Amino acid sequence: MAKYVVKRLGMTFLTLLLIVVLVFFLMHAIPGGPFTAQRELPPEVEAALIAKYNLDESLGRQLLHYIQGLLKGDLGPSFKYPGMRVNDFIVQGFPVSARLGFVTILFVLAASIPLGIVAALKNGKWQDVFTMVLATVGVTIPSFVIATVLMYFLSHKLGWLPAFGLDSPVSYILPVLALGGYSMSFMARLMRSSLLEVMGQDYIKTARAKGLTEYKVVTRHALRNALIPVITILGPTIAALLTGSFVIEKIFALPGMGKHFVTSITNRDYTTILGISVFYSTFLVVMVFAVDMFYVLIDPRIKYE
Amino acid sequence: MSHPAVTSPLWDEIDITDEKSETLAAVHRTFAGDVWFRFRHKPASVVGLVLIAFILLFAIFGPFLSNHSYAKQELAFVNIPPRLDLFMIGDDAIYVSRNLKPIHVASDGTLLSALPRIEENLAKKVTSYDFNGQTVAVDYSVRPARLIDPSGTPVTETVTVHNKTYLLGTDKLGRDLLTRLMIGARISLLVAFVAAFTNLVIGVLYGGISAYIGGNTDTVMMRIVDVVATVPLTLYVILIMVVLPRDSGITSIIIALGSVYWVNMARVVRGEVLSLKQQDYVHGAKIMGTSTWRILTWHLIPNAMGPIIVTVTMLIPSAIFIEAFMSFIGLGVAPPMASWGTMCNDALEALRTNPYQLFAPSVAISLTMFGFNFIGDGLRDALDPKLRGR
Repeated sequence: MAKYVVKRLGMTFLTLLLIVVLVFFLMHAIPGGPFTAQRELPPEVEAALIAKYNLDESLGRQLLHYIQGLLKGDLGPSFKYPGMRVNDFIVQGFPVSARLGFVTILFVLAASIPLGIVAALKNGKWQDVFTMVLATVGVTIPSFVIATVLMYFLSHKLGWLPAFGLDSPVSYILPVLALGGYSMSFMARLMRSSLLEVMGQDYIKTARAKGLTEYKVVTRHALRNALIPVITILGPTIAALLTGSFVIEKIFALPGMGKHFVTSITNRDYTTILGISVFYSTFLVVMVFAVDMFYVLIDPRIKYE
Repeated sequence: MSHPAVTSPLWDEIDITDEKSETLAAVHRTFAGDVWFRFRHKPASVVGLVLIAFILLFAIFGPFLSNHSYAKQELAFVNIPPRLDLFMIGDDAIYVSRNLKPIHVASDGTLLSALPRIEENLAKKVTSYDFNGQTVAVDYSVRPARLIDPSGTPVTETVTVHNKTYLLGTDKLGRDLLTRLMIGARISLLVAFVAAFTNLVIGVLYGGISAYIGGNTDTVMMRIVDVVATVPLTLYVILIMVVLPRDSGITSIIIALGSVYWVNMARVVRGEVLSLKQQDYVHGAKIMGTSTWRILTWHLIPNAMGPIIVTVTMLIPSAIFIEAFMSFIGLGVAPPMASWGTMCNDALEALRTNPYQLFAPSVAISLTMFGFNFIGDGLRDALDPKLRGR
């Protein structure tokens, strides 16, 4: 086990390093410097700026500086907002995004698992058809369409829910529905098919033959195994929520990281794009690592190779 | 009593011979025929196919049939909805737009011209306009705004007609939404097909080579795929789009999608080839001295075609989604080019006042996604019946 953890940790670090290097060179491949603007800067000012941000050094040294900064937790300055550092954006935005993401994950789990279970147990009945239709709709319709349509009907037409902000508990409803719709549908489908498969296995027949109640057969025997694929998908789900939040935060005007990221893209604020991407990647890689570890703990069939 | 002569061969006596009694009754079908048989017996897949065929026709021929251009701005006819509430003055109809500009409309719903303004009285909240030599006025001191006819009384007679000039209305710059929707369909489908094809070629070759050569090559190649796939592919697409020059629009999306989305395809193909390469016919080909390249392209990849086709059909809707997503966050096609994503984004600003602008692109994206997903599901079930209903 320890060997497996060490190996996975090593891979995680290597992955992160590769991503940082890749993104760094990608950002430096942009034609024109970071201070290329419509209004040209006086040459002295530009030279001073370039010297201040160490842009006159070789690319290799710049990368080294950047990685040294990263190790100290410093993501560097923003080139478009003087005086702001990329860390400031993250400190401002991350709590908002994290709160929304956490509530969404809870919603996704609380909605998709029961839906999938009901659909599988009532295979072919109206409950199943209903879940599958809902899941197909959720998987196919893009999140920004769900978000805008819900916003138009529920907040503009009916006035039931606030259209922006996260001030009160009810204001979470729309963003959470729009952000979690895809993952919820996907997971419900996965839960259904996985439980259907497990219910066909011989050991379920054995459990029934022993005279266990159907409730016990499902909760004690079937669900344990059927939940494993659902847990595996948790890592990618976190990733999906993360990228989904770019548009959701834009639509609902939430001051989260996704909004900062989209704004920095529109402003072509390269260091902020670079910094937030690195932060996102680190966050994700760590989450995927955590899910993998959890997965190994609950499924004894997985060998730690 | 006469009976009609029974001539049908059904009534003939069969002569049973040993040879005939051994034949099987089922019609022989080729593999492709079999797949098609299973595909068309699933209603959802057929619906998907019809939907996509319709959208393709809409995208290819639509713009030729339209009288409008996707880029031409008609500033007199800004934000005109698809249904018009008209004020009737005698036989003439006048539409008062959201920004309180009266427009002369034929009674069948064809927009004629914006009325020239005479005088604006800000204190009374009344603006007067010239209408064929007579004076009409828009009174916006009350809500909703009223139209005052030449004799000075408010017009009470109203009718609702469909907008004949712009079937889906116009956007905030007075561009025809229907034409923009058609151009958007072209962009979406073009991006989807080209990106899917690029990913098909790269993914199949990458996965095939990795699996067939095996050993350290396989480990290194798949490690690269793992590293790329750790971070959401959307993030890479965003980063690549930022780096590519801004004005290239559609080319950048295709390059960005093509450079990362092949990883799923590579994994699928690798899995298939890994099991296929143990088969006897591959050993046979090897013994006969066939080159590695030829074994890969002639023996292994054609046999892995089922999963490859399914992966491609699933890739198309995600490419459409990514294009709309990018355009929505402002990284897609450059204006004035229309894309469903940019149309949704534009509509979001005016959601409260002009909701009709949102519905056309939203419905278009959703229907296309449904269509391709249904086709993908149908193909998957048809190619591998064991997966049916999953």
